[in-house]
Amino acid sequence: MKQKKPNISLKKLILYTLFSAVLISGCSDTPPESYSRGVYLLLDTSGTYTRELHKAQQLINYMLAMLEPGDTFAVARIDSGSFSEKDIVAKVVLDSRPSMANKQKREFAAKIEEFVTGIKSSAYTDISGGILQGVEYLNESKVGRKTIMIYSDLKEELPEGYVRDFDLVLDGFTVQALNVTKLRADNENPQEYLDRLSQWSEKVVEGGGNWSVINDLDKPEALTI
Amino acid sequence: MTTPFALDWSTYLVLLIGGTIILYLARDPAHSALKALFDGLYAGLKLAAKALQRTRTLLAERNRDVLLAQGREQAERDLEKEFFEINKFVQRDLGGYPQLQREIQEQVAKIQDDCERSREVPVAEPDWLEAVESVSALKNGEKNTAVNSKILEQIHSSAVQQHKANLAAYRKESSARHSILKAITPYWRKLAYSVDEVGERLKEIITRSQNIDNHMARFEAIIAGTDKAERALKASAITQFVIALLVIAVAVGGAFFNFHLIALPMSEMVGSVQRIGGVKVADLAALVIICLEVTAGIFLLESLRITKLFPLIGAMDDKIRRTIMISAAVVLVVLASTESALAFMRDQIAGDLSNLRASLAGLESQAFGQGGISEWIPLAANMILGFILPLALTMVAIPLEYLLQTGRSVVGSLLEIVLATVAICLRMLAASIRQLGKVVISFYDLLIAAPLWVESMVLSRKASANEKSYSTELSKTQDF
Repeated sequence: MKQKKPNISLKKLILYTLFSAVLISGCSDTPPESYSRGVYLLLDTSGTYTRELHKAQQLINYMLAMLEPGDTFAVARIDSGSFSEKDIVAKVVLDSRPSMANKQKREFAAKIEEFVTGIKSSAYTDISGGILQGVEYLNESKVGRKTIMIYSDLKEELPEGYVRDFDLVLDGFTVQALNVTKLRADNENPQEYLDRLSQWSEKVVEGGGNWSVINDLDKPEALTI
Repeated sequence: MTTPFALDWSTYLVLLIGGTIILYLARDPAHSALKALFDGLYAGLKLAAKALQRTRTLLAERNRDVLLAQGREQAERDLEKEFFEINKFVQRDLGGYPQLQREIQEQVAKIQDDCERSREVPVAEPDWLEAVESVSALKNGEKNTAVNSKILEQIHSSAVQQHKANLAAYRKESSARHSILKAITPYWRKLAYSVDEVGERLKEIITRSQNIDNHMARFEAIIAGTDKAERALKASAITQFVIALLVIAVAVGGAFFNFHLIALPMSEMVGSVQRIGGVKVADLAALVIICLEVTAGIFLLESLRITKLFPLIGAMDDKIRRTIMISAAVVLVVLASTESALAFMRDQIAGDLSNLRASLAGLESQAFGQGGISEWIPLAANMILGFILPLALTMVAIPLEYLLQTGRSVVGSLLEIVLATVAICLRMLAASIRQLGKVVISFYDLLIAAPLWVESMVLSRKASANEKSYSTELSKTQDF
């Protein structure tokens, strides 16, 4: 009988340890990153699309109103070579205090206002480079939900010598194409427009991401992230 | 359409005949196995039903004991309260009874004195009666007649004078007596009031003594453990449980509102990014504050001996109890003030957020902090609610106590019903399984009906042959 006692206490010890482990794991700090959202918005500044940027500004303001403390938001332009930090127009990680977050949002909106007012159109449209830059940025920011928004007609035009023949790694990313306007050529041959959309869709899905197209920006639920 | 397992009719026939023969040959063991299976299930279910029924009985006894104990405690408290009230009443009201009695006696003595003084004094006999008698005794004659008439005239005049004097004296005495009797009136009134007062007080005592009688009757019924007392206690417990539940639900609604009042400003203090178990730390902090308020409220009511959730606090020394009471009250006021400040902060943050959204939407934002009526009324309401809600939440201790006290017997009763229902279901299932066993065995025999019919034919023939040979042998024996 005396030999059995240590076994019982050992069992109890194991049980208590397991119970404590369950309790501790249940009550421990959850990393805040897993709940925060990251949005990287690419703005097409090529050709005539610059006229659409005032609408994009409204979209940015809407996104700012929707984002909460702890979220990450960046707006970058798509120009001839978009794979560069210099193309990031404004970026912010919202402070955990609501008052500070509101202040940051105001500053962000002011920067965007300044950008939209003084925009100069670029000759080419490097969308792939912009997406890659967005992927890097959001991966670094370690957010829970990553969304890349492309405000463009999705017509990629690269300068001579620029190579964008790579596979995107978009696991855990949602890529949304916004306000994909129809070009004159699309009107002549709508298949071109459809091909363009399906090409980007395939590229994103093959990279492991989710793809969606939102052309009606008046629906707030469409922009839920 | 052909399937991999398609068989022709001859194979089916062979399988049918073969199966029937196998089933016929295995009839007895199959019957035994089926009987054992269904009997086993029946016995198991019956046993389970009995066990549940026994558990229900034990639970019912336990519930009854708990209910009666709680009822006895309550009845003791009620009796104690009634005795305390009657004692207070006797000390307060009937304590002055000797004084009242003395006053009544004094009043009565005064009234007696006044009555004595107001008694009518008999009027003295007139002086001229003897003179009239003397005159009447005189002999009649002319001379005497003249003398008599003179005397009588004089007597008449003196009688008239005396009558006037007597009348005046009588009127004077009557007036004096009336004034004495008039002076008695306030004494009578005072006496009547005193007597009425005593009567009212005695009525109060009678009412209270009736209450005590009722409580005593209830107490005796509980002590005796009568079914009537148990039913009354159960009904009372269910009513109290439902009422307490409703009040608690209202309090939870208040706590929910309170939570939303302070959750946003708490995020300004502790941040709204960090999470524990998926819940924002700011929300948890707000919840903790509300829980602290409720706890402080419980301690306050405990130290005031209004509730008895923690008998230890109620039994503490008065000095320590008072210290706990003051501490709990201070904590409550501090938390309520904090909430009021947080409500102010919430208003500021909400205003700022609203302005930001308006400016982002391209609308002209209203300047916040100008002090318009539409601005300060919500602000004041928020701050007042922020201060009052924590204090109101302290009262949750009372329904909570009722809920915990009555919940035990109510949940016990519900459990009893559940156990009884499950036991009945198990019993019904057991009976159904027993019948199902009989049906299955009969169905088994139905499958082998043909061999059974052959068997019965063979047996009957064999029996008739045996009977025939027996009768032959019998006749031979008789012949012999």
